[in-house]
Amino acid sequence: MKFGHVFKQTLKNEGFPPDWVESAISYSQLKKCINRLTSELSEVGLNPQTLARLIKQVEERNAKEAQENTKHADSPLEYLLNHEDGPEKGGVQKPFQPKLLFHVNEKTGELDSAMLDEETKKKLHMLALESGLTDLRVLEEPDDSKSIESGASSHTVIGHECRRRPGYKTVEVQLTSDSEFFTKLSSELSGLETLQDREEKRMHDKIEELGKQVAKLTDPDRRSNKKLIAVWRQIFQIYVENDIFFGTRETDHGGHDAGMAAQRFQKFANTIAQQGLVDKFKKPECLQALTSFMNINREILQGLKFGEINRTAMTKILKKFDKQTNLNVARSTFPLTITYPSFSSHLAKAVCSELNTSILSHVPQIDDYSCPMCMEIKWRPVKLSCGHVFCIRCLIVMQTNKQHLCPLCRQRSVVDANSDNLDLELADFLKKWFPDEVKAKQKHNELMAGVDQYGEVYKDQCVVM
Amino acid sequence: MTTPKRIIKETERLVAEKVPGISAVPHDDNVRYFDVKIDGPSQSPYEGGVFNLELFLPDDYPMTPPKIRFLTKIYHPNIDRLGRICLDVLKSNWSPALQIRTILLSIQALLGAPNPDDPLANDVAQKWKEDEKAAIETARQWTQQHAKA
Ligand SMILES: [Zn+2]
Ligand SMILES: [Zn+2]
Repeated sequence: MKFGHVFKQTLKNEGFPPDWVESAISYSQLKKCINRLTSELSEVGLNPQTLARLIKQVEERNAKEAQENTKHADSPLEYLLNHEDGPEKGGVQKPFQPKLLFHVNEKTGELDSAMLDEETKKKLHMLALESGLTDLRVLEEPDDSKSIESGASSHTVIGHECRRRPGYKTVEVQLTSDSEFFTKLSSELSGLETLQDREEKRMHDKIEELGKQVAKLTDPDRRSNKKLIAVWRQIFQIYVENDIFFGTRETDHGGHDAGMAAQRFQKFANTIAQQGLVDKFKKPECLQALTSFMNINREILQGLKFGEINRTAMTKILKKFDKQTNLNVARSTFPLTITYPSFSSHLAKAVCSELNTSILSHVPQIDDYSCPMCMEIKWRPVKLSCGHVFCIRCLIVMQTNKQHLCPLCRQRSVVDANSDNLDLELADFLKKWFPDEVKAKQKHNELMAGVDQYGEVYKDQCVVM
Repeated sequence: MTTPKRIIKETERLVAEKVPGISAVPHDDNVRYFDVKIDGPSQSPYEGGVFNLELFLPDDYPMTPPKIRFLTKIYHPNIDRLGRICLDVLKSNWSPALQIRTILLSIQALLGAPNPDDPLANDVAQKWKEDEKAAIETARQWTQQHAKA
């Protein structure tokens, strides 16, 4: 199937919002532009084959010059997408003015290219004459006012150029459809950028709203929330573990494409359903918040998909442009102003980091509060003079072993830790958010203290009980 | 006896987040005993070799370091004939916050940067200091002979 068709179908069937579809790259219109440009060019005798030959010649010359480190600047033609002369004023970008430049020997009136066939040369001469370049042999200062344009035909304009080259005059072919193509493409790209900003703001509001809701639903001071905090925590933990939009592991880091992200999101959704976590939400507010969370993720996925298909459309249309005109935009002269706004990945990144700060962070995860030594919850938490926090059990063992240095920074802070080092604030926090884990660890600590006192027998007996 | 949370967590992470060129698999019947494989670092005389090690977590791990030694014969100034490794973090510089993965990374780094001034295998270190070129060549030969997968 042709890409144009696939693109159209995707835009139609993927359920993108109408304003997205409107902002999408108008692939078929750009394609028509290319067709018009092709006929413009062939009217001056520049069919793709001729251009390919010419450009190849130019490239060979350039390569040779680079090799010999000389600059003769005598290539027969140049393809310009923008005025290079004169700095841009006030940061305003000039519109594209793509043109082909041919260099004409002032003495002989010959076009400086042996590769052009006679008919093309004739046509170019005709166009030069038509637009006022009556005597190609006369040496004169180029005219900057560009009054010639008024007498131009509808699609091609020939004029003087101020790019000087001693001994040569320049014939300029302005390409109307070409400039139409680039103007359209770049305005569409900036449209996509605007859309992205708008979407980011909209998602921001949505996430903020949901964040408030989640904060309320997981407030550990409310009795009615008690049981549900653990459920939220599990859901968010599974969410984080699935690395839906970004890899956080050594072997997989960076953004995921839409296909991969969709797959991972599906896995997340399946897992929380299988573990019966969704069923545990009886309160409608909880279900509603979860739905809203899922929807935000679906919207990020849609954004990724939309970005990818547009990126593909842009790459394809530029390739088509080159294939039909042989002007090699995508390869060499590709102008910087046509960089695709990173719609998808940028949006996903911004939105995900907000998800983290405004939603996931409302529910602390146990891994952030585990002791670096036993990897169980830091209960009871002891803060050493160096600032590092461990569970009391590990520190007692260290002190018994006469291991005096902090495991993380190697300062002598273990040796003089005592009950004053208990971190009461953190203890309250842990009791509030992780009551079950605290209870289990407390029991374990007591058991191990018993073992210290009475030996392994104590433990065996307790386990049997 | 139940397996400490720490060992469970470390093992899970070793499986979930593989370190390039390193693998550590616990025995089915003993969660404290690991079969370790380390690829010789590129641009070292051990390149192309795969080295087998055994790793054991003592009862008081992580208060004491894991016990680890090379099973594959290796010519290295800091590894002796019995495969014992001279590495400070396995001895005096051990910290209970270090993990299996960090230790294995240190050993991989040691293969890439032999240190004959802090030797364990005295004769190898001596050769290394006298004629580094020849020693490296020997290390390469041993790798071809003993560490080919
Ligand atoms: Zn601990
Ligand atoms: Zn410390």
